Amino acid sequence: MRIFAGLSLLAALPAAAAPPPGASSCAGCHGGGGMPALAGQPVEAIAGAMLAYKAGQGSPTVMDRIARGFSEEEIRAIAAWVAAPR
Amino acid sequence: MARALINLPRTARRGEVIEIRTLIQHVMETGYRPRADGSVAPRDIITHFTCLYNNEEVFSVELAPAIAANPFLSFSLVTAESGILAFTWTGDNGFEQTETRSLTVT
Amino acid sequence: MRRRALLGAALLAAPALAQAAPKVVVIGGGFGGATAARALHRLGVSVTLVERDATYLSCPFSNAVIAGLREMEAQRFGYDGLRREGIAVVVQAARTVEERRVVLADGATLPFDRLVMAPGIALHPDAIPGLDTEAMPHAWRAGPQTLLLRRQLEAMEDGGLVVLSAPANPYRCPPGPYERASLIAHYLKTHKPRSKLILLDAKDAFSKQRLFEEAWAALYPGLLEWVPLSSGGKVVEVDAAARVVRTEFGEHQAAVANIIPPQSAGRIAQAAGLTDRSGWCAVDPVSFESRLRPGIHLIGDAIIAGAMPKSAFAANAQARVCAEAVAALLRGEAPAPPKLINTCYSLLEPGYGISIAGVYQPKDGLLADVPGAGGVSKPGAPTAVRAAEAGYAEDWFRTVTADAFG
Repeated sequence: MRIFAGLSLLAALPAAAAPPPGASSCAGCHGGGGMPALAGQPVEAIAGAMLAYKAGQGSPTVMDRIARGFSEEEIRAIAAWVAAPR
Repeated sequence: MARALINLPRTARRGEVIEIRTLIQHVMETGYRPRADGSVAPRDIITHFTCLYNNEEVFSVELAPAIAANPFLSFSLVTAESGILAFTWTGDNGFEQTETRSLTVT
Repeated sequence: MRRRALLGAALLAAPALAQAAPKVVVIGGGFGGATAARALHRLGVSVTLVERDATYLSCPFSNAVIAGLREMEAQRFGYDGLRREGIAVVVQAARTVEERRVVLADGATLPFDRLVMAPGIALHPDAIPGLDTEAMPHAWRAGPQTLLLRRQLEAMEDGGLVVLSAPANPYRCPPGPYERASLIAHYLKTHKPRSKLILLDAKDAFSKQRLFEEAWAALYPGLLEWVPLSSGGKVVEVDAAARVVRTEFGEHQAAVANIIPPQSAGRIAQAAGLTDRSGWCAVDPVSFESRLRPGIHLIGDAIIAGAMPKSAFAANAQARVCAEAVAALLRGEAPAPPKLINTCYSLLEPGYGISIAGVYQPKDGLLADVPGAGGVSKPGAPTAVRAAEAGYAEDWFRTVTADAFG
């Protein structure tokens, strides 16, 4: 039943690049309201910072606690997605 | 001494049914819980509670490992005469604690 | 029979639907609902947002309003941003949800292909005998109650006792009662220093407890006293007119009493048959689809989210994941398993902030903590770190309100 309903709507809704796991949560803070906005920043800089925080480097207040929840592969995918302007 | 809380009216009429509430701060360790090092935490619970009303037992209860920490007990009593209520908790590792309250019956 | 009838309807409807953008209705215009409406709209879905009130008053930072540190108008957000983007906004309560259509208060109906509900919470003051929220405000939904509690504190004479009561889990904003106690204590310390605050708690432990207790010892010694469940903290009844608060083991004569009552999922969730016996809504942790009614998705404070708390940050994060899942399902695809983040800041006095964070993933039908991630701010951190987190709290508020309301 659900598949039929889905198929019926397929033509109307083009698929966009879906965010990788975790990426859509970033906008809650990093949307330009004071904390660094991420769109347009170099992917390597974002991934590098997250990987450093995950490894216990730097002196973040909260990003170390969040970075530890992701693998290196997930962090690189998130960085690529949040850096893209949209 | 564990902290014990007791709530009952200070005065009551003869023959009145009063509610008594007690709570004692105690871990109630079940004896089944594995610790981080793999050993099992030894049992440490309250096993018995009694209430004496002028030295006569009016309420008692046996407690088991399934009882939650800080056991809360509520029970009712028919008043007869002024006197002393004595509440005693006993448990593992020689635990024993008694608290008393006076009740004036009019 | 029912299944076959529905299948027939779907097949008949298919040619018409294929020409139009799929229709999604969102009920509830708070942090979850407004974010979901915008995210769905960006994904090419035709969205109608149904919200009871013309403007939204934010609960985050409303404790600062109670303590006189912030004005109510800073909490107010409207829906013009959504309208400008082309989202239809219907300012009306939803009465119930029938098969693939929402029934509004005036009887009009809105058809949907999928429904997203962010119904928030319902408060249950009746659970505490004697409670009259006009005399003892809950202030747990930002609005007149917030200002009533503020006025009561302002009118209180120096030397009065403020009694605050925190409910048992689960409830909206787990650290909220403790932030509120802190900021009211700050108000008393700076305006009415002979006064006291007693925080009665129906629990023995709470969110960010070590950090709150560390701050209370430093900032409010002798002023703020926390009474846990095992010390007689559970409120069993009140005399609202006399401002007496009774616990299992005693009573307190308050000058101002703020009783936060037990809660459940919002009224419309109950009316639509989406709550279970707990009073909350069980959902699939990948799609946020109701476990009771297929085609209806739920987000925010109303859901049973496992380890994920009932917070505005969580509602915002769930809204974006839910929007992606709804769009995938409308395309006939299976939604991908998500990861979600939560971060909650609490203010203990102006310029003193702490946080708790978590990363979550679906596990055993709920959202579970990702092991090794999350946790609270470091105990004993220097004041510069506390000041930085107080600043980040404001940054987060600016960002998330812009994200939700445009």
